[in-house]
Amino acid sequence: MKRSHSMLLLAIILLMVLSACSSGNTNKQTNESDSNSERSGKNQQASSGEKTKLVYWTFDRHDADFIKETVDRYNASNEDNIHVEVKSMAENYAQSVDIAFASGQSPDILRPNQDTMIPFMKKEYLEPLDSYLTDEMKQKFEATFQDQVNQFDGKIYSLPNFGYTLRLVYNVELFEKAGIEKPPASLDELVDAAKKITDVGKADGQYGFALNFKSPKSALDRSAREILQLSGYDGFGFDHKTAKFDFTPYKEVIEAFKQMKDDGSMLPGVESLDIDPLRAQFAEGKIGMYLSYSAEAGVYSSQFPAKIEWAATLAPTITGEIKGTSGFANSGQWLAISSQSKYKEEAWKFLSFMYSDETLQAYHEKGLGLSAVPTIASNAKAPELTGVDGFLISEYDALWPVPPAVTVEGLNYGDVFLKYILGGGDLDEAVSDLNQRYNSALDKATASGEIKVTPDASFDPIKLQGSMLAK
Amino acid sequence: MSKQKALENYSFIFPSFLLTMVLGIYPILWAIHYMFYDYKGYGEKLFIGLSNFKRLWYDELFWNSVWNTLIYAGGKIVITIPISLILAVILNRKIRGHNLLRAIYFMPTVISTAVISVVFFIIFNSYNGLLNQFLQKLGIISSSVEWLGPKYAMLTVIIVAIWGAIGNYMLLFLAGLQSIPEDLYESASIDGANAVHKFWYVTVPMLGPVMQMIILLAITISLKGYESIMVLTEGGPIGKTDVMFLYVYKLLFPVSTGSVYIQEIGYGSAVGFATAIIVGLVTCVYFILSKKMNKIY
Repeated sequence: MKRSHSMLLLAIILLMVLSACSSGNTNKQTNESDSNSERSGKNQQASSGEKTKLVYWTFDRHDADFIKETVDRYNASNEDNIHVEVKSMAENYAQSVDIAFASGQSPDILRPNQDTMIPFMKKEYLEPLDSYLTDEMKQKFEATFQDQVNQFDGKIYSLPNFGYTLRLVYNVELFEKAGIEKPPASLDELVDAAKKITDVGKADGQYGFALNFKSPKSALDRSAREILQLSGYDGFGFDHKTAKFDFTPYKEVIEAFKQMKDDGSMLPGVESLDIDPLRAQFAEGKIGMYLSYSAEAGVYSSQFPAKIEWAATLAPTITGEIKGTSGFANSGQWLAISSQSKYKEEAWKFLSFMYSDETLQAYHEKGLGLSAVPTIASNAKAPELTGVDGFLISEYDALWPVPPAVTVEGLNYGDVFLKYILGGGDLDEAVSDLNQRYNSALDKATASGEIKVTPDASFDPIKLQGSMLAK
Repeated sequence: MSKQKALENYSFIFPSFLLTMVLGIYPILWAIHYMFYDYKGYGEKLFIGLSNFKRLWYDELFWNSVWNTLIYAGGKIVITIPISLILAVILNRKIRGHNLLRAIYFMPTVISTAVISVVFFIIFNSYNGLLNQFLQKLGIISSSVEWLGPKYAMLTVIIVAIWGAIGNYMLLFLAGLQSIPEDLYESASIDGANAVHKFWYVTVPMLGPVMQMIILLAITISLKGYESIMVLTEGGPIGKTDVMFLYVYKLLFPVSTGSVYIQEIGYGSAVGFATAIIVGLVTCVYFILSKKMNKIY
């Protein structure tokens, strides 16, 4: 009896081990015979009349209903026997993609963004689209092709759909209450307006200005960025003329932010404020101004319905004079085809549908994102969203060259500047330290061949004005 | 032991051994391997010897996180253990509703840390937090205190940690208290001991071995804790609440909203290894110092 028990136990364990090994072998065989199965799979599916199933992973939540409707329409109408299944992977998208590729189970269609594009590229997850792009499509998207954004070594890996303009968002009612006639055009006016709003509103818990300093870099990348860019400087501390980091232009912007903090014009607790609590407070009428992306228009329509009258306008500049253009953000990528997909041609057919004028125009008009494609942006109707007017692409919006992403040791510029805003100190010394550390990281990355930078002495952001408007 | 018996025994161990190897040992070996490399999760991994440790030695952010961890863990343990013990002693008596009270005190342990942190954010935030409103109504403060600002953020995250941990340790102490024979209290009563005497001269010494293990657990858990901090402050403002494991997490898993780091698997592994050594060392020192607690006279 004892013997039979132990034999049974052993048999179960062996079965488990063998089944694990055999499934591993199957995977291996599957990987090895990918190219064969790609061909034979298609033939089998075609002959048996089965649909080709494509898997599309996205992390976007704001457009989930639209994407579902669009994909359903495609599934019902396409004549290529293709069925697309959308999976929303809102959390840990990049990690999920990594795991999927490591186990040979990648989706056919991916959604890279500004953070994941370069890692996805370097991990060889993406298929170049050049061989699929028709001349007509190339012409349509030509203005949006950008090195290190959607183009690498001359090859295109994704095409854009939408992006975000950056603006000063302000509470019209608080401006009226404080007797401010027009939005601030310079940093001095910004500081002054914040003080005036706080003076008349503090008793009711209303403050002039706020930023989401819980994530300092994120806060500066949505505020100082466009102030600097419109003033003629890069919004991430990179000087494109010399191809070196130089955070000196930040000084005046940071001094203005510090002044507002010292004046008591900033909402109390900004240092622990995330963007959503900030938005909730703005919607309640507690904040006079802040700077952010055009996504705010959608936020105040659905996520935090605004109880106040608000508007958006171009960010102020350092002196009041516009010497550059505000960056059109997060716009270079939308959909891409997996390098592991067995059905790349079918995936491209689906992408062609998603990138059609009809789909892109509907996306823009529904207010899900401002179209990054000039012909779409100019032909489509204005999105159906309150407050979106101030965010629409103007001659002062442009695609900026991308600064290199470096691994800097020590505090990043967001933390360094927040430290100064909250506690003071020597700003010149802080800027000099940042320049030294960022350039040292840049030198290291260029020496290892990880990054290539080229100085462009002729770079002038004022020349970018009007570049996003259809010719 | 017969060969067959040994085989049977090993077969019982095998599943947990396999899981430990795959989920415990393999990741450790993986991290040990990568800490000698410059690797960002893609492209070529470059062998750089001990450079990651040299960088770590001069990394102010890391040492700041070590210091913060010691303050956080120390503050949490020093307050949590006595309160848990007192609560356990009180609820060990047959007072009315003791089971309900035990359940209430234990409740924070089963609630998600993220939910707890969000609730505490609503209480502590400076612009419309309940605590500020309450203190202002009582006239204790005239203007909002920035509980999550540089000055008080550490205190706030410690309070949240204490709130979340008390119930758990209370339960462990309760288990320990129930193993103390009733005769000892009876003898103490005959000798004229009052409640305080019984607590100091019977309960505390008899709980020695249990308390040693509970404090050991509290030390390791506190040194590794970062979840509520991640939700409440993300380690800020300006690194005031950045603890070791949060720093490691941000180096290894940077692609998230508000993230400010580039993925550094090599350096992150080195920092992870160093934090494990620190946790191990603190635990060893505690174990040596607390040897006496294990002896019941």
